[in-house]
Amino acid sequence: MRPNLQAQTKWRWGVATYLFLVGTGAGAYVVGVFADFLGAGWTDVAKIGVALGFPLVTVACLFKVSELGRPYNAWRAGMMPGTSWMARGAILLTAFLGVSFLHIVLWLWPFSGALAGADGLRHALGILGGILAIGTSFYTGILLASNKPIAFWSTAMLPVLFMLSSLLSGLMAVVLVGLIAGLPFAGAIASLEHIIAALLVLKALVVTFYLQGTHRTPESRASAQLVLHGKVAPLFWFGVALVGLAVPLGLGFLDLFHFYGGATGGIAVLASLCGLAGGFLLRQVILAGGIHAPLRAGRFEIALPIV
Amino acid sequence: MARYGFVIDLKRCYGCYSCQVACKAANHTPKGIDWAWCMPAETGSFPSALRQMLPMVCQQCDEPPCMEVCPTGATTQDEFGVVHVDQHLCMGCKYCIMACPYGSRQTIGGWDTYFPDAEGDLDPYEAYAKARWEEKNGYGMASKCDFCTDRVAEGRQPACVDSCPAKARFFGDLDDSESEISILIRRERGFQLNPEFGTNPSCYYLPPR
Repeated sequence: MRPNLQAQTKWRWGVATYLFLVGTGAGAYVVGVFADFLGAGWTDVAKIGVALGFPLVTVACLFKVSELGRPYNAWRAGMMPGTSWMARGAILLTAFLGVSFLHIVLWLWPFSGALAGADGLRHALGILGGILAIGTSFYTGILLASNKPIAFWSTAMLPVLFMLSSLLSGLMAVVLVGLIAGLPFAGAIASLEHIIAALLVLKALVVTFYLQGTHRTPESRASAQLVLHGKVAPLFWFGVALVGLAVPLGLGFLDLFHFYGGATGGIAVLASLCGLAGGFLLRQVILAGGIHAPLRAGRFEIALPIV
Repeated sequence: MARYGFVIDLKRCYGCYSCQVACKAANHTPKGIDWAWCMPAETGSFPSALRQMLPMVCQQCDEPPCMEVCPTGATTQDEFGVVHVDQHLCMGCKYCIMACPYGSRQTIGGWDTYFPDAEGDLDPYEAYAKARWEEKNGYGMASKCDFCTDRVAEGRQPACVDSCPAKARFFGDLDDSESEISILIRRERGFQLNPEFGTNPSCYYLPPR
């Protein structure tokens, strides 16, 4: 008799929001730093990317703290970096927040002149912050992948998927803010749209490979069943596959190839919003699909009580 | 130094839940928290179907994943191999709940009375249990079984061992090759749950018939 395996219930919307905002903030910052190396035509994109990193990650941390059982002990989160990925993540996040805050203060506001002419210093700060941002978005995947009893998460594909999703969400956030702020849908923003279209195709492939890899254990197969055909399926098919991947990809092609008679950027705004929603729902789907391995006692396999 | 361990004889357990109730009484655990619990399992199909109870406690892993992932250092292991949680250090991130393969780490947000229909204040016994729980554990932290460390320090057995009417539970020193539990593990081919996770639990099970 097959055990009735149940998904975990402790890490849900609050943690999904945290993972998404950390990923998006870190991704936007990396886009900003990279754009800063590309010359004068990319300055606005660089400034938007750098400006988004700190606030998004700060809000993410506030979500995480509010979700803790004992928020007043949150300051202890980095005490055990030798063994705990959450502790390493807390240190990475703190360092990233410090560097990205410094980057904003010295380049954008209020001391906007401090780094404006000092390209070398600004790039050095950006490289340091960029490394921390990449580590931060990688950490969001490892945080889940380090839980061995949940085979759906415990795979090397998950950090790769989260990294890719972070970069994509960061790009979309930059495009969204850029267009709302009045940047024309041309030049740098149009180039970002090309990159977004390519990364959306890549993300669809990685999601497919990730789910394909769940055949290894009964519990990961149960997770895939839950995500593809079970209670989580509407969220996955409608939220992640349709709204998060197919719609922005379709709208992106419309915009890029001017199928509707002229690029205005309005469609790119809609595509970015859909893509960001898809990135958030992807985290929620993965969390909601997490199922612990059954207890194995000789011939018996017994599902854990709801965790 | 001793390494405390458990042996649970699946042949003897008939699923009376005495261990679960005794643990509640000894540790004042709130509704929704069970440091010791029993799970029914079935295998095979008619006419050779088999039903078996699986009594559970924290497996007190030698390599505890809950301690490894704990970001604050709230989860520690004492010299007897027993894993403890310091309620003053725990931040309630629930990472240990995700990492534990045995469902031994549990959390609760507040006291939910056992008698929801009763009017007025909690009865004195439940009020006492609530006060003791809040003193030793509290809410929002990921609590767990500690092999009744206080009772063992007084020379007594853990509550679930004392209360088992079938004598299906044994407590002792795994490092002493002549202890009752070491002999039982050797003689009756004791096994650990989910060895694939490499946690080396201190809780062994003797196979059912």
